Amino acid sequence: MGDVEPRPLRLGKKQFPPEQLLVMAIVNRTPDSFYRPGDTWDTSAALDRVHAAVAEGADILDVGGVPAKPGPEVTAAEEIRRVVPFVAAVRAAYPDLVISVDTWRHEPARAVCEAGADLLNDTWSGWDPLLANVAAEFDVGLVCSHVGTLTPRTRPFRPYFTDVMADVADRVLGLAERAVKAGVDPARIVIDPAHDFGKNTWHSLELTRRLGELTATGWPVLLSASRKDFVGETLGAPVEDRLAGTLAVTTVGAWLGVRIFRAHDVKATRQALDMVAAIRGDLPPARAVRGLA
Amino acid sequence: MIVSAALCPSPPLLATELTGRADILPDLRTACTAAIAHLLAATPDVIAVVGAAQETATWNPDNRLDLSAYAPVAGGHGKPGLPLALGIGALLLDEAAYTGRRILQAVDESAQPGDCLWLGRGLAAAAPRVGLLAIGDGSTRRGLAAPGYLDERAIPFDDAVQQALRDSDMAALAAIDPDLARDLMATGRAAWQVLAGAFADASPATDITYAADPFGVAYLVATLT
Repeated sequence: MGDVEPRPLRLGKKQFPPEQLLVMAIVNRTPDSFYRPGDTWDTSAALDRVHAAVAEGADILDVGGVPAKPGPEVTAAEEIRRVVPFVAAVRAAYPDLVISVDTWRHEPARAVCEAGADLLNDTWSGWDPLLANVAAEFDVGLVCSHVGTLTPRTRPFRPYFTDVMADVADRVLGLAERAVKAGVDPARIVIDPAHDFGKNTWHSLELTRRLGELTATGWPVLLSASRKDFVGETLGAPVEDRLAGTLAVTTVGAWLGVRIFRAHDVKATRQALDMVAAIRGDLPPARAVRGLA
Repeated sequence: MIVSAALCPSPPLLATELTGRADILPDLRTACTAAIAHLLAATPDVIAVVGAAQETATWNPDNRLDLSAYAPVAGGHGKPGLPLALGIGALLLDEAAYTGRRILQAVDESAQPGDCLWLGRGLAAAAPRVGLLAIGDGSTRRGLAAPGYLDERAIPFDDAVQQALRDSDMAALAAIDPDLARDLMATGRAAWQVLAGAFADASPATDITYAADPFGVAYLVATLT
């Protein structure tokens, strides 16, 4: 993987320059996700979360109707019921907000695109190959991720890799290539190493350390680490005490060229990213007076 | 002779590149802009900018403030950086789109009043119509949060400078005690005394358009005709 120029990124109606760091706010339409389960199960609570996330500086919304962990079956029809009206409501309230939907099946994907979604966050790594066709048909974006050998909604069991980063790069670049062939706009493709998915904590730490190898491919990289188990295991911290660890991963990722950060904690993530942007010289301080008076 | 003069302060934050995304002290900027406009309205042959520095010297009029000294990310312009006071003066002239002749005169910050007055007389004689821009600040010790912390003598000192200006009392400006000014970190003292020398025995009409210490440093903007 030689270094290449960062690719342009187009999501929805917007084009984002390579140096812009984007916060993707998580809004779960589930009763049983791992962090604050059921918090936004109620539609009005979920809409309140959207308003707050936008006010706190979210650039992208990521709506999910099915938890990643194993649990009671959520049919495609039920997923549609949970997600589609909500996407339509958010679209009505925010005509220009980039809306991503975390889904792995083409039926809900199609329905959310009809409701105004801009990005399909295929966390389960192309399990349903038709997802790319839906993205192409609606000219929306696609996240190409890595889950090793997992099938959707399963947990890793003794995963191992000769070289986890090589495996990740091979998979996500292969998916990106497949998506381009399926007709997805290359400027709308994002790659995601998918921390914790089909990986142990050591693997996720290795991937974090080597994120620069993924960003060097030029594809926009999505980092999804918010409050995940590898943060918890690393720090010996329960899920409600993983913000500092998450922000450390976020900061390292931003420094290594990651462009999109999927986050539960929008305000803190925005602040961490603005700080990195200012350190890099991409964003002037909000106000600089100290020593200049 | 001096046909018009202006006093402006020299905080680096007058350079908008240094203050981030916020609009810092817009009223001070407005006052400085108006003071420069006043200076230029007299159609001088040359603008002499005077400001304190480590030594008395004349600088190349093409030089500018090196912003990268204050914000490395701002990048340099490749030219030798002016001392702050002259750099702010040059910046204000640039912002007014002044392209005429300029003299950039640094005065030793510890120069004795007599030397300052002499320097002022020389600048006044530099052309038939000289506009003088004196750049400098009052005390930096006006409060507990001030850059120089609190010195009880600071406020009376600045009040006296203002009063001298208001009265067009060049002798009073000439009499400012350099040691007290140094103690109070009042960097404008030498430049004001150059101004006093430039006006010599004249009593120009003065107008103080800004006098405040938003960050504990006394900023003064004034015009003299």
